[in-house]
Amino acid sequence: MTPHLDSTNSQNINLDSTEVGISNLPNQRYKIVSDQGGIFNLMVCGESGVGKSTFINTLFQTTLEPLDPHKYRNGPIKKTVHIDIIRAILKEKNFKLRLNIIDTPGFADNINNNKSWQPIIEFIDEQHESYMRQEQQPLRDIKFDLRIHAVLYFIRPTGHSLKPIDIETMKRISTRANLIPIIAKSDTLTKNELIKFKNRIRQIIETQQIRIFTPPLEYDGDLNPKQNTNTPNELGEDNQDSKAPNTSDVNAAAIEHARQLIESMPFAIISSENQFQTEDGRNIIGRKYPWGVVEVENDEHCDFRKLRSLLLRTNLLDLILNTEELHYEAYRKLKLEKKENGDENGSDEMSKYKRTISNNPKFKEEEIALKKYFTEQVKAEEQRFRQWEQNIVNERVRLNADLEDIQKKVGKLEDQIKALQLKKR
Amino acid sequence: MDNLSNSSGSTGNSANDRRHSSDHNSTTHTSPMDIDGAPAPIAAPARVVPPHQEVKIIHRDINTYVGFANLPKQWHRKSIRRGFNFNLLCVGQSGLGKSTLINTLFNKDIYDLHQSEIGEDDFVSNEEEEEDNDRVKIDTISTTIEENGVELNLTVIEAPGFGDFIDNTNSWEPIIDEINSRFDQYLDSENKIDRSNIIHEDNRIHACLYFIEPTGHNLKALDLKFMEMIHTKCNLIPIISKSDILDDNEIFEFKNVIKQQLLENNIEYFKPPTYAVDDSESIAMTEQLYDLIPYAIVGGEQGTRSRSYPWGIIEVDNPQHCDFVFLRDVLIKNFMEELREKTNTVLYENYRSNKLKSLGIKQDNSVFREYDPELKELEDKKLHEAKLAKLETEMKTVFQQKVSEKEKKLQKSESELFQRHKEMKDKLTKQLKALEEKKHQLEMSLANQVSNSPVQSKKKGFLR
Repeated sequence: MTPHLDSTNSQNINLDSTEVGISNLPNQRYKIVSDQGGIFNLMVCGESGVGKSTFINTLFQTTLEPLDPHKYRNGPIKKTVHIDIIRAILKEKNFKLRLNIIDTPGFADNINNNKSWQPIIEFIDEQHESYMRQEQQPLRDIKFDLRIHAVLYFIRPTGHSLKPIDIETMKRISTRANLIPIIAKSDTLTKNELIKFKNRIRQIIETQQIRIFTPPLEYDGDLNPKQNTNTPNELGEDNQDSKAPNTSDVNAAAIEHARQLIESMPFAIISSENQFQTEDGRNIIGRKYPWGVVEVENDEHCDFRKLRSLLLRTNLLDLILNTEELHYEAYRKLKLEKKENGDENGSDEMSKYKRTISNNPKFKEEEIALKKYFTEQVKAEEQRFRQWEQNIVNERVRLNADLEDIQKKVGKLEDQIKALQLKKR
Repeated sequence: MDNLSNSSGSTGNSANDRRHSSDHNSTTHTSPMDIDGAPAPIAAPARVVPPHQEVKIIHRDINTYVGFANLPKQWHRKSIRRGFNFNLLCVGQSGLGKSTLINTLFNKDIYDLHQSEIGEDDFVSNEEEEEDNDRVKIDTISTTIEENGVELNLTVIEAPGFGDFIDNTNSWEPIIDEINSRFDQYLDSENKIDRSNIIHEDNRIHACLYFIEPTGHNLKALDLKFMEMIHTKCNLIPIISKSDILDDNEIFEFKNVIKQQLLENNIEYFKPPTYAVDDSESIAMTEQLYDLIPYAIVGGEQGTRSRSYPWGIIEVDNPQHCDFVFLRDVLIKNFMEELREKTNTVLYENYRSNKLKSLGIKQDNSVFREYDPELKELEDKKLHEAKLAKLETEMKTVFQQKVSEKEKKLQKSESELFQRHKEMKDKLTKQLKALEEKKHQLEMSLANQVSNSPVQSKKKGFLR
């Protein structure tokens, strides 16, 4: 009468009868997520000229950030750190990703970069705050979600060490979001220099207790078959939760993959939007120098592929869930605890003011001008009062003289009287 | 405009499945429910209307392998590791084969059928016993089922006694209370400060199987009343139980009557959604799944998947014999996660917003908007200006106060000076006058003395 409806499974009815259908639940989830699409908020952070825009364009293989050569080189240097958002809807194999790239032009570009991390930190916190407020509303069917899922921190390839501002900024970011430090433009470092540089950065990260994002040592996502050719020699305890025999192999390979990612941190990155043909005839994305062609997607040349795997191919969901379940929840908890302790109402407005002042030098100037105006007014008044006081003193002198005059007359009279009295006798 | 709606539509993607803007499956609940007697009408789905903002969104189709399209696969794996949970409510009067069906559906002896069989055989005493309690009870049973490495935590909630009394007035109340209290419990844990356990704490009812007696006539008043009460709170899947008593034509007729009655009473039942990725064949199948509701179900005999009669054997899993496989497709195989999604994004959300509003919590739509640096700067500027104005008035007040204090002080010392001067001058002037008087008198008396005495004349003479 009616055909069997199971579209995902063309097995016969006998087999179906013992199969309840629970094993199909992950496929249902897959379908739901495919239908919904995803959202990914990526922040790029680093001083100008380290190749943030090029990296983004290389990563998504499309021009999202127009490379404006005048953007930094000729334009007026902005005094403050700004927040720029590039919003995009990307479609890959019919999967829709709402992508927000958050750029922070102006960061670390000044002579005095004290507190130039503040706008970045504030932005991350503000997005958590905004999401929390939306979530608390009775109606909340749409939410604007700009919670930062990952922060790429671009380190200049100095080959020396991290700068204090790098350390201070990364410290603060790492308690709020998934921090991924990367060495930008690493084609200026030789292999040995890079190894040394990476080690030094790792040491600093460890001693400064900066928490960087690491992929969980568990299988999560589609692996490029080429990447798991390494025979898994360590079967971690993590794979006990996978029951099917063939998944444990995949699982071990995944753990190995994650381990490799962790070992390569901080990733050394070379970006390019240009395609070249190599001598052996391959088309590659890279940079051409007189001494050779740098291939972006070559693990021997840089860690671009590893970073892409971490950001998109294998750990995108981990970044998202980590943000929602750890960082956002931590923010929310802190905020609600504060509210419960009652330090919210009075100080809240003041803290808002504080933030504004520290943020904008123009505001500060205006404030100083206002204070100066009043100081001048006070000075003018003080001058007037001094004059007045002087007048009073003068007046007193005059009046005293007046009194003295009379006093003299009195004295004179008294003398005359005395004389008269003598005479009378 | 286009961009904006696009952007808001795709914001709903998340870990806890809490922000799924389910355009495709909300259709089942969009018809307004203001028919008289509908006890808890679904408020015409209120929506947040964000302010209009011009936002530039880049649209790109990527033809190379970038990799974010792996996200559903990553979810696939993650969901296996996290496991699944489902809470199923079964309602129907006793003897309609609820326990048998659950066991057959999940292919597991969740209910001890021997016990329940005794209960059914011993129907009269059972009824008396329950009449003693005079109230519908809530029974809960939980189990874990695993299939090919996928684990499901299943909880079945039953309401023994429902429909078994002589007077069944309000016998739905304990069931509605149960659903509400499970929503409340979730709302509580959602509002907790520490909600790290929330993914494991979902006790909300995700679907309700309602067992209709195979009368072949129409729905009874109690059936209608119950379904009317429940369909706004729970994904309703009505089924005709023990349908082997009806032949194909009778089932067809009965289904039509039931559907007509549900339609007339504005009772909605679960509509499996179709997806953008579905081909026309699977869309047709999903539509058919919806059309076949209420499913005509036959349960297996004593732990088997068939029933044998002298005139033939009914195979539970044979779609030509009954709708069991379709029920299983909707409930487990193809739409279990969707039932959860809809519970979370539509039914729970409705419950929650009504509850919060009834508690007096006001909606603030200003929090729903795109981040706008310019707007923020503007707000900062306003804030700054307000602060500056405050500072100015404060300083002005202090300044004016100080000035007037000083002025008063100076005026006072000035007037004191004049006052003192005046007093002293008066005093001196008085003294002067008195002395002048005295002098005058002395002079006068001296003059008299001279004229009255020789000495005076002598003196006069001497003076001359």
